[in-house]
Amino acid sequence: MLPPFSQTETGPCFMIRFAIRRVLWLFVVLLGLSVITFYLSRMVPGDPASLYLGPRAKPEQVELLRSQMGLDKPLHVQFFYYVCDLFHGDLGESLRTHRPVLAGILDHLPASLELMFGAILIATLVGIPLGALSAKKENTLIDHLSRVFSVANVSLPAFWLAMIAQIIFFKWLDLLPVGGRIDTVIGLVSPIETITGFYVLDALMTGNWQALKSAVAHLILPAFILASYSTGIITRMTRSTMLEVLREDYITTARSIGVTEKEIIFVQGLRNALGPTLTAAGLCFAFMLTGTFFIELIFFWPGLGTYTTTAIFSNDYPVIMGVTILMAVFYVLVNLLVDLVIAFVDPRIRLG
Amino acid sequence: MKAKVTRTLSILSILAVVLMVFAVYGQAAKLPKNILVYACTDSTTTWDPSASFSTELTYIANIYEPLVWVSPPGSAKEFRPGLAERWEKSADGLTWKFYLRKGVKFHDGGVLTAKAVKDSFDRTKTMKKGASFILGPIEEIKVLDDHTVQFNLKSVAPLERIVASAYAAWIISPKAVGNDQKWFDAGNEAGSGPYMLESAKPDEEIVLKKFDGYWGGWDKPHFERVVVKIVKEASVQEQMIDSGVADLGNRIPVESSKTFDEKDCCSRLVGPSYLNYALHLNTQKPPFDNIKVRQAVSYAMPYKDMVDIGLGGLGQQARGPIPYTQFGHDKDVYQYTTDLAKAKKLMAEAGFPDGIKEKVIYTYAAENQVEKAFSPLIKESLAKIGIDVDIRPMIWNAQWDLMKGGPEKAQHMGALLWWPTFSDPYDTLYSLWHSEGKPFFNFSYYRNPEYDDLIDKAYTSPDVEQAKALYAKAQKILVEEAPSVYLMDVELPVFVRNELKGYVINPSYPRVPFFYDMHKE
Repeated sequence: MLPPFSQTETGPCFMIRFAIRRVLWLFVVLLGLSVITFYLSRMVPGDPASLYLGPRAKPEQVELLRSQMGLDKPLHVQFFYYVCDLFHGDLGESLRTHRPVLAGILDHLPASLELMFGAILIATLVGIPLGALSAKKENTLIDHLSRVFSVANVSLPAFWLAMIAQIIFFKWLDLLPVGGRIDTVIGLVSPIETITGFYVLDALMTGNWQALKSAVAHLILPAFILASYSTGIITRMTRSTMLEVLREDYITTARSIGVTEKEIIFVQGLRNALGPTLTAAGLCFAFMLTGTFFIELIFFWPGLGTYTTTAIFSNDYPVIMGVTILMAVFYVLVNLLVDLVIAFVDPRIRLG
Repeated sequence: MKAKVTRTLSILSILAVVLMVFAVYGQAAKLPKNILVYACTDSTTTWDPSASFSTELTYIANIYEPLVWVSPPGSAKEFRPGLAERWEKSADGLTWKFYLRKGVKFHDGGVLTAKAVKDSFDRTKTMKKGASFILGPIEEIKVLDDHTVQFNLKSVAPLERIVASAYAAWIISPKAVGNDQKWFDAGNEAGSGPYMLESAKPDEEIVLKKFDGYWGGWDKPHFERVVVKIVKEASVQEQMIDSGVADLGNRIPVESSKTFDEKDCCSRLVGPSYLNYALHLNTQKPPFDNIKVRQAVSYAMPYKDMVDIGLGGLGQQARGPIPYTQFGHDKDVYQYTTDLAKAKKLMAEAGFPDGIKEKVIYTYAAENQVEKAFSPLIKESLAKIGIDVDIRPMIWNAQWDLMKGGPEKAQHMGALLWWPTFSDPYDTLYSLWHSEGKPFFNFSYYRNPEYDDLIDKAYTSPDVEQAKALYAKAQKILVEEAPSVYLMDVELPVFVRNELKGYVINPSYPRVPFFYDMHKE
């Protein structure tokens, strides 16, 4: 990451210039990324035209399509066309579904985002208080348990956790559904009107209580499992930064002048620890976009993960490239956002 | 700000918990009888029936109809009327007449006429996509009157099989037959079949709704709606069927598949399919340029183990290249047995009494779990006769590319899962073993003009019995010369809840559940 701030600069004007600089870097990153992914995907054996036409296409059909797709032109020419298309927002067409890649991504993105927002919410709502508590009760049983909990969350594979969760909550306890976004019958009988593509939000906004119940119930397991890794990270992060902060002189001073313990932890301590924790949370959120892949497979959640894994298994390189580029953009933008939020939240940085 | 943050956090947490508790209680009720939920792995590559050539068949076959249907194995008659009530052909086999059913409506209000049939086939031929090549023998389609359509062929061909094909033979409404593939791929359909496409969310869920105006009527118990949930993970499908969230599934983990029948709730239905596995030997590359080596390999294969381990017992050793129950399958074709002594003797006769020094490269499709399971068995058995196999799993397209690279570059052996485009053996026998100019599917680089001639004659013979005899002769050559090892015929299982009735397995329409014939008790 770039060293973000010069301590002598201040104010909104600075923030804008900072943001612009980062966006320019985004283009550099994207260019490099597209070169690498483009050439890699072309080097992988497997003729895209045969893929497009299916396993039993005749040789003449394949030849015709190859020239239509421009696959007989030299690689750098193909790359040039690809980049030109990118600038027009054209990510190409999926070899498997024959629909535009961008449309495919946008179709599947809301489902993944809903899952991610749910997960990051859980991760922060569980991780931050737990980390703070752990810091306050350093080296007690609670602290040890929470440290084991964080390490477990980070180490246990999400794929495995998902299957265990299904067995426990669906098969044995019959409390939560096995997968999907909404109950089949409810989906038919009182379907959710699409406004944002987020089932929970849309059901809430249209007053569709049956569907809301079902959508939330279906979101619980996958969101919790997706949150596991981030919860572990956020707990640890909060704990370690809190410990540092609590050792600072001004904390000792605050205690000695009689500030309540509660205010010390939750006001002084947490506010100062929030910076690095939020950075970690932001990065976790960006990382979750790939983390959804396994979760979506197990819970047959129709998000970007499902779309991409299907593309990977069928060598659908326009989709693979399109998703890779999208992930890069997403990652850089989230990073930028996190930095801006930190600058806003942490007065030390804002005021230089 | 500071206190606000923590207060916000606490309020959010409480809200979240409340929401979750509220959601968990009062969960879904049991599925009503008039809705079928099918947990399925079949996604769609296109919704255009003229171009369809893949797993979307599951849906296409319920939305569209052909002129003629191939009946399931064991039926009294091999063919069943579809949109054509009856049909006849001329003595020379070059002219066929189909008499259409009257009063058939399409989902979009179009009406079935001879012109609609002509236009559908003409469209498929012109588009040249999918399996349109099977319409090659058709010279011209004539509209004799509103309900009679005539096909003039340029060469004799089994037209009733062609028009009963699972691909390239669907009849499209006259109102939509002028639309391009993009119109269909946007999610539109123009069929006459019992079910309409209500909604299609890619990779997620496909909902079919009953077509009230279906000519077959709705007086028996039928499903009003069919919800197909795309669930790729086998263990999840198992959970869904077990618990009643789904009534029907097509993929269960192999370990559970065997004991599925023992469950109280559910059964496993098994039926023949036209899928088969073969091992193709590169006849233009040593050591497989030697017929005795190829025969030795055929005797060394552990056929029973391969069926048990590769297919979990769901299948049988293949007898020749045409699967059991398909037209053209010959019960008298020689079948190699697992006989290591014979195999070793043949290797000695071939000049390799101590085996072959050079490694032999063997590829299989990495995505295929069956091939993955039986490949070590191949290596093990060939090691016993002195052939050292180098197993290379490759993504199907990569494997295919390698094979197409010419006989020197191509692998020595390749495993291939095959299924015919339609119920005639010509497609299989031609594609896999006909002499090729440019390599395409002839993995074994086999070249035999006598064989080519035999199958061409069989296909263009107007006499069914003569065709069968010629196909039998051609298969005899293939088995004797062993350019390939005919491994196993696959049986496809389907997993159902016991309340579901009426599922009939029809291998001519692979893995298609005909929803119209099914109901729940």
